[in-house]
Amino acid sequence: MSEHEVMFREAIRDAQREEMLRDKNVFVIGEDVRDPWRGTYKATDGLSSEFGNERVINTPIAEESLIGLSLGAAMTGLRPVTELMYIEFTTRAMDAVCLQVAKIRYMTGGQATVPLVIRTQGGGYLASGAHHGNSLEAWICHTPGIFVATPATPYDAKGLLKTAIRMDDPVFFIEHKAMYTMKQVIPDEEYTIPFGVADIKLKGSDVTIVANSFMVHLSLEAAKELQKEGISAEIIDPRTLVPLDNESILESVHKTNHLVVVNEGVERCGWAAEVIAIVQKNGFSDLDAPIERICTRNTVLPFQPDLEKYVLPSKDDIIKAVKATLGKE
Amino acid sequence: MNNPKVSSKIPDSLLIHFYRTMVRIRNFEQAARRLYMEGKLPGFMHMSVGQEATSVGVCSALREDDYITTTHRGHGDVLAKGVSVDSAMAELFAKSTGICKGKGGSMHIADLSKNIFGANGIVAAGIPIALGAAFSAKYRKSDQVAVSFFGDGASAAGPLHESMNMAALWKLPIIFVRVNNQYAESTPQSDFQGIPDVVRWAEGYGMPAYRVDGNNVLEVHNTTEKAVERARNGNGPTFIESMTYRWYGHNMGDPGICRPKEEIEAWKAKDPIEQFKNYLLENKLVSGSKLEKINDEEERLTEEAIQKAEKAAPSPLSSVFEGLYVDVALGQKAIRGDRR
Repeated sequence: MSEHEVMFREAIRDAQREEMLRDKNVFVIGEDVRDPWRGTYKATDGLSSEFGNERVINTPIAEESLIGLSLGAAMTGLRPVTELMYIEFTTRAMDAVCLQVAKIRYMTGGQATVPLVIRTQGGGYLASGAHHGNSLEAWICHTPGIFVATPATPYDAKGLLKTAIRMDDPVFFIEHKAMYTMKQVIPDEEYTIPFGVADIKLKGSDVTIVANSFMVHLSLEAAKELQKEGISAEIIDPRTLVPLDNESILESVHKTNHLVVVNEGVERCGWAAEVIAIVQKNGFSDLDAPIERICTRNTVLPFQPDLEKYVLPSKDDIIKAVKATLGKE
Repeated sequence: MNNPKVSSKIPDSLLIHFYRTMVRIRNFEQAARRLYMEGKLPGFMHMSVGQEATSVGVCSALREDDYITTTHRGHGDVLAKGVSVDSAMAELFAKSTGICKGKGGSMHIADLSKNIFGANGIVAAGIPIALGAAFSAKYRKSDQVAVSFFGDGASAAGPLHESMNMAALWKLPIIFVRVNNQYAESTPQSDFQGIPDVVRWAEGYGMPAYRVDGNNVLEVHNTTEKAVERARNGNGPTFIESMTYRWYGHNMGDPGICRPKEEIEAWKAKDPIEQFKNYLLENKLVSGSKLEKINDEEERLTEEAIQKAEKAAPSPLSSVFEGLYVDVALGQKAIRGDRR
């Protein structure tokens, strides 16, 4: 099987390109997505040059109508891949995403079909400040009617995005700005990855770490250090938050009897709390210790890099949490 | 702004369609009001009685495959675009035979088979959805047209202005129909709008605009036809302001304390149906007995719809999660929770 190395942003671009070649109804729309700018994080590189401006559309800065337009187009049978430049800009389109896109199928008694992918990116670690560095996935997970994907690797990003574009349900697809240049060797041949299927990013036996998006990489670094101290961590990446692969998480906890959940969203009412609730309810007897969670502290994201570092999850936080749940502090 | 002269070339069958559909909407809404006050209909309801000529004048200029979106006050628009009285009435009753299987209600009537992309509970939210349908028509090189009905209240909201800009920029086949009934809920226009003449906005965005007598079905129809022709020919959007009035308060919970009685009576005297009926009779275009026959037929249609809806089963518990996701297996995973 032949392979090639890609950056995360190239994997995203290639997924869109392949689906555009496959289906004329697929088009890309967003702010600044055309060449030569090719998207703020360069994830639409080359698409307008190859497919023309008819299929790669730059829009005014008007997120509410961008998402509303995408919804209307999807309801006619087109398959928009809509780039929302920053996840924070969802606030400008909250009605369109949460009340219109997510709900219209149900409210019409199943008449409307919305094959729409909203691609966006979030996350901190780059001093992007309180308007450009948040992880807001919990907001969308709280909205029934839309699926949520948060890929952690180029391989996953490509396979999940191709699946998302082919799905007939709306998908909120969240990339992480610290990962766009991350490289990985992936197969040349076409593949897709189903939603709702977790991936074990590291096999282990002493503790389960459930982590998504960029948190997978922090957890892998933590696991490497823990290994030196004889602690074997298993890292479960759910890949899609909605639907969530409860079974894979519970199976791992059944084996390790200890759980740490790592998520970059603000701790209070965040996605980690959801995972913890699922495990205490369905895996209570498997647990030997209280569950730990590492999330962003309950504050506004600071710009100053040292302060930002303090409030965001770190490798050391994860190591501490693992030791706490194992009683090895 | 220029108002077209009322054309006399409209065929009799279309004149009858105008009359019949306006009567249909009026009957539907007056029946819904009565049923609501009798406690037979759950939820919220917003009446558009008095605005029938706008609904019918616009939709009669459209093809069945053209798109519309409308507002929380959308009964008239969706009936004019062709949703059946039976399925719309059953939806008000929250019955399984409702057009949205009782999942949407009065504010969310949609019929995708007629390209009615829905009434909407959020003011101005339907405008960009219609923009997307228009975008799609252009993308697919079809000659379909999209219409968005919105109120004067929605005109102050961002989505209208974003969408007008994009529509003009890309010459999209969309018609913005501002149904000016003078009030945003309880607030008169003078309290929320900087200039009285918003047709000027449209010209500023780069599209032609017309102000029409929204109680004159012929004038609304003829103006919309011009806009439709422009859109189908690839020449882009049009803005139509239709001056009309709703006879009743904002919703069924509004006892009518916010508008002067004389104002309401003055508009009732300009009843679009009575005016059109007089026009037909005075010009001997349709006989009085023909109109009486239509009245009887339409009255029966509403009564039968009510009887059927009352007899139909409510949306059953077994349907509670139906229609949430296309992918049912994935959807089940997303729906599951702790409750037993």
